[in-house]
Amino acid sequence: MNQRTACRLFPVLLLALVSCARKPVQQAVFDPSTYTELTFNDSDSMDPAWSYDTASDEVILNIYEPLFMFKGSSTKELVPLIAAKVPTRANGLISADGKTYTIPIRRDVTFQDGTPMTMADVRYSILRFILQDRDAGPSPLLLEPLTGYGGTRDSNGKIVPGIFKKAEKSVQIQGWDLVLHLPRPFSPLPTILASWAPIVSKEWAIKHGDWDGTEATWKKYNNPQKQTSPFFEHAFGTGPFVLVRWDRNTHEIVMRRNEHYWRAPAKLKYVIIKGIDEFETRKLMLEAGEADSIYADREVWEQVQNTPHVQIIDDLPTLEVNPIVFFTFKLDGTGNPFIGSGKLDGQGIPLDFFNDINVRKAFAYAFDYKDYINEVLNGKGIQPTGVVPKGLLGYNPNQKIYSYDPQKAVYYFKKAFGGQVWKNGFKFTAVYNAGNIPRQSLLQVLKHNIEALNPRFNIEVRPMDWPEFLDSYISSKLPIFILAWQADYPDAYDFTFPLLDSQGAYPGPQHFADPRLDKLIDAAVAQTDPAKREKMYWRIQELEYEDVPNLPVLQPLDYRTQRDWVQGWVNNPIFPDSPYGCYYYPVYKKLPAPPRKPKHA
Amino acid sequence: MLKFIARRLLFLPIVMLGVTMLLFGALQFLSPAMRASLYVKDPRQLSALNEVILKYGLNKPMPVQYWIWLKQVLHGNLGYSETAKMPVAVAIRAFFPATFELTLVSFIPILLIGIYFGTLSAVKKDKLLDQTTRIVAITGYSLPSFVLGLFLLMIFYGHFQIFPPGRYSLNVDLLVHSSRFHHYTGLLTLDALLNGDFAAAGDILAHLVLPATTLIYISVALLLRITRSSMLEELGKDYVRTARAKGLPESVVVKKHARKNALIPVVTLSSLLFIGLLSGVVITETIFDFPGIGRWSVIAAQQLDVPGVMGATLLSAFLFVVANMISDMLYAFVDPRIRLN
Amino acid sequence: METKSKAAAMWKALKKRPLSLLGFCIIGFFLLVAAAAPILAPVPANSRSAYLIPEDGYNPEPKLPSAKHWFGTTENQYDLYYGMVWGTRTAFKVAVLVVGVALLVGIFLGSIAGFYGGWIDETLMRFTDIVLAFPGLVLAVVIVAVLGPSLDHVMVSVAAVQWPSYARLLRGDVLAVKEREFVLAARALGASDARILVRHIIPNSIYPLLVVASLDVGSVVITAAALSFLGLGAPAGYASWGQLISMSRDWILGSPGNAFAYWNTVFIPGIAIFLFVLGWNLMGDGVRDILDPRQR
Repeated sequence: MNQRTACRLFPVLLLALVSCARKPVQQAVFDPSTYTELTFNDSDSMDPAWSYDTASDEVILNIYEPLFMFKGSSTKELVPLIAAKVPTRANGLISADGKTYTIPIRRDVTFQDGTPMTMADVRYSILRFILQDRDAGPSPLLLEPLTGYGGTRDSNGKIVPGIFKKAEKSVQIQGWDLVLHLPRPFSPLPTILASWAPIVSKEWAIKHGDWDGTEATWKKYNNPQKQTSPFFEHAFGTGPFVLVRWDRNTHEIVMRRNEHYWRAPAKLKYVIIKGIDEFETRKLMLEAGEADSIYADREVWEQVQNTPHVQIIDDLPTLEVNPIVFFTFKLDGTGNPFIGSGKLDGQGIPLDFFNDINVRKAFAYAFDYKDYINEVLNGKGIQPTGVVPKGLLGYNPNQKIYSYDPQKAVYYFKKAFGGQVWKNGFKFTAVYNAGNIPRQSLLQVLKHNIEALNPRFNIEVRPMDWPEFLDSYISSKLPIFILAWQADYPDAYDFTFPLLDSQGAYPGPQHFADPRLDKLIDAAVAQTDPAKREKMYWRIQELEYEDVPNLPVLQPLDYRTQRDWVQGWVNNPIFPDSPYGCYYYPVYKKLPAPPRKPKHA
Repeated sequence: MLKFIARRLLFLPIVMLGVTMLLFGALQFLSPAMRASLYVKDPRQLSALNEVILKYGLNKPMPVQYWIWLKQVLHGNLGYSETAKMPVAVAIRAFFPATFELTLVSFIPILLIGIYFGTLSAVKKDKLLDQTTRIVAITGYSLPSFVLGLFLLMIFYGHFQIFPPGRYSLNVDLLVHSSRFHHYTGLLTLDALLNGDFAAAGDILAHLVLPATTLIYISVALLLRITRSSMLEELGKDYVRTARAKGLPESVVVKKHARKNALIPVVTLSSLLFIGLLSGVVITETIFDFPGIGRWSVIAAQQLDVPGVMGATLLSAFLFVVANMISDMLYAFVDPRIRLN
Repeated sequence: METKSKAAAMWKALKKRPLSLLGFCIIGFFLLVAAAAPILAPVPANSRSAYLIPEDGYNPEPKLPSAKHWFGTTENQYDLYYGMVWGTRTAFKVAVLVVGVALLVGIFLGSIAGFYGGWIDETLMRFTDIVLAFPGLVLAVVIVAVLGPSLDHVMVSVAAVQWPSYARLLRGDVLAVKEREFVLAARALGASDARILVRHIIPNSIYPLLVVASLDVGSVVITAAALSFLGLGAPAGYASWGQLISMSRDWILGSPGNAFAYWNTVFIPGIAIFLFVLGWNLMGDGVRDILDPRQR
């Protein structure tokens, strides 16, 4: 055939092939066996001892099972999962001095191939979790309460002598009881065991080349390379789903129902979690019925309203304080582009600018919290009363908070540095992570309000990429920085230590330290009486109000976007990536009943 | 000829070395904390920053780090890419076929349309066809690819619900990864056909339509222009006038004589165009969520995934040198004047 | 006398080509807008820089055109009209600076390579080969990652990948020109190397390069817009067309049932980029057609 005909035939052929794959327009495919979730984040590793990111943790939540779990939507009430009973003081399973936990374990749990779980697996799982201790991993969460050590290595990277024996002694077995010996009381321990250290199979681990559980070899598996472990991309757990495939090429995780599950099997046959970066694409797929739920945050809320066959579940509580403004008490002046002249001459700020409590209080009164929450976030959230969010023991709804009061702000500015701040003015640069619109707006509101008080006040707002931000933050160069905190486990200690303790993640670079806070935080975590504990956290947040080392701006309310045929989803703020991520065990798909047409009389 | 090839091949490692040194030079300005940001993504990990720096040797002097990397590469180990969550070599093997397939599927229509209409529009200079072709070319040249891509997505997927983004639908995904499916070439469309599954091939092709259309529209402009101007130049030459004077029919003049010679610059440009396509798919891959090498290399660069960026850069440099070599060889092959030199 | 009639001849030739005339008109229009920016979109009283788009509140949802905001607003209530007007200046700045810098570097290195030949030529050409082999977008991302996101850094990185082709082109032309008689004559008269290069060789070899450069302006603007779209360019709120489209990324598909609910955020800056690039391309085409003797 000649060229002309070929040219004409080609598009016809193309269309023919394509129409094989085309589905009828406007008709979404309902497949009750498969659930598709579209997310934004990338998983790091399927190893429960390694992973410390919400994307991986969501998968681990469905494949592995820890000792306890939270009941329904509660972040306070625990139910036993792998364990047979939740230990409390009342049932005697927690000793009077709070240092011994006796946890009876279920005898009917099986792994995904039907083989029974043994006590050796339970002990192995916990020891592996705390001893792998990879850099920037979750091991310290459990290592510290069980052994008293914050890490298995010292600051030079050498293994702390005797750490293995300590770990071994603290995790013991007595028949079908797991007995944990703590060096001192640690109240949040059961909640930690509800979110971390799920049970893995010792036999499977050894068979695939991981640690054999003995002292002789543990150092080899301490702080390993991520991809060398069989747990990195393969899984063998007790949970309602099994990992079929983790395809890093197409950003896809495929899970299948565990047919040998020790409880009733899940209703869904397949769960697919796919990573798609573009919101528009996720939205389109949701509308077409090719996805059952998607990641959609507050910024795009308007765009998902009124989508046919799509359900928005709003006002979901979170265990997150985001954003928080932190002050750096002692800045590092070397090569610091954010402090201007470095002096209180109206062209910069001195290195100890925020060390003056009057400056901090002035800033606290200068921010319009209500307006920010209503304008920028459509009112979806509350101003925290301290670092302990609502929903946890220790939250004090009556704690005094800072609110927008320009007169008070002026008063404190005039007091600061003996009047020099008001007289000379100041200038510095505030940064936010590039692309984070709520944080950008926060700084703009702050800038606007503060500059309105005195024409000599100058704040420059600029974005910064994460790498540069990290660099500047860790070297104490940023006068103020905005970060957030999300619960590792639902307990006030998890919020107060990193945010207020002088050894915490933020106060360190802030160069902030209040020994009263340190003492209280330390005492509160060991306090076993809930009523007494609560009072201590109330006192901590009172001190926080006095010291004002940071400004917690918002505890957000989130919303979930899913197709209306999704049933059975239960929200729990402690679930990783909630409310987008999911515990899929109770979830199923059923077409909603069509609205009844009125019958003619 | 062999000497020519040998000399070019010798040049290859020099270029690759030079490119990587240049890149490492640029990375010189990154502090250890900035490079550690690849591993510390969550505020909850902030307290471990110094340990991470120690673990990956990020505070060693740059030349030392480069030498360590180079030694690894010479032993055949390209390192591990944190953004791809797999070794760099595996990542390249995983992402490259997708980009190659997209490029191939776009390239063939570009060639066909570009040459056919470029020739035609030179022959019918200044007539309606010529004007239309030139308008199409100039708009393709002036339109940013992301604008076009987003519009296409909006219209075809958003409104008509055909031609979805991604590489394949979920059922084809399960099929392609099952043990029944045999990968012969790495080009999924071809493989699906070879496996006898026409529906799957159609599905994969349907996913290629929008990204390919975006690439085609933007790139065909270049080929249209070159073909047209080269053809015009040929048609103005003496031997064409002689052939016409001799009474040869126009179609013979065009097809048998002018076009062959006009295609010389086109042919040599094509290999460069192909490489340009390979590296130019970044935006298209991002918009259509296509799992190719363009998208990965940008993500790696953004997150300072040094092994990933080095690997992608090496690949790109390799392809570039090879393309140039092929282009020069084709030029020598097609243009007898060069050959005789 | 000679230049005047050359210009007149060019104008005559241009009139015969309506498309190229259109190109000149488009660029002329944008030039006027850029020049009149302070009048068309007055800078707010206490604004730190004219390029910072004023924000009207903090609501994330873009608004359609209204009496208050002629082109509507983008995400976070940046005034689109203001952004478009001042973005014209940014567009010209990017186009001219990037091509200008790339030209300067390319001319400098290319002329030295062509003039001196030998190992200088070899080294410089190998160096340009290495830079050419570098994947452009990756280099741009790395440069911005190292230096920080800003339009200036984007311009640096685009210029960094543009100059090698100019250097090569000029080198080829210099090689041809340097053997011509007037150059040999100048040498015989004892003129210094620099003088010969600057006064004789470069002016005679530069035309093809300028033509290529004018054709490149369009693609440079597109590359810069693409980098802004990827989030590497100017920070949000800076008046740049690419940045404006980048801000519309989450709103492109509108709301359910109304795909065009936020059409202004994509269409207006998109059309502007398109017309701007089109104008340069048409203009460049026209200039090339006129100057190229073969096309007459």
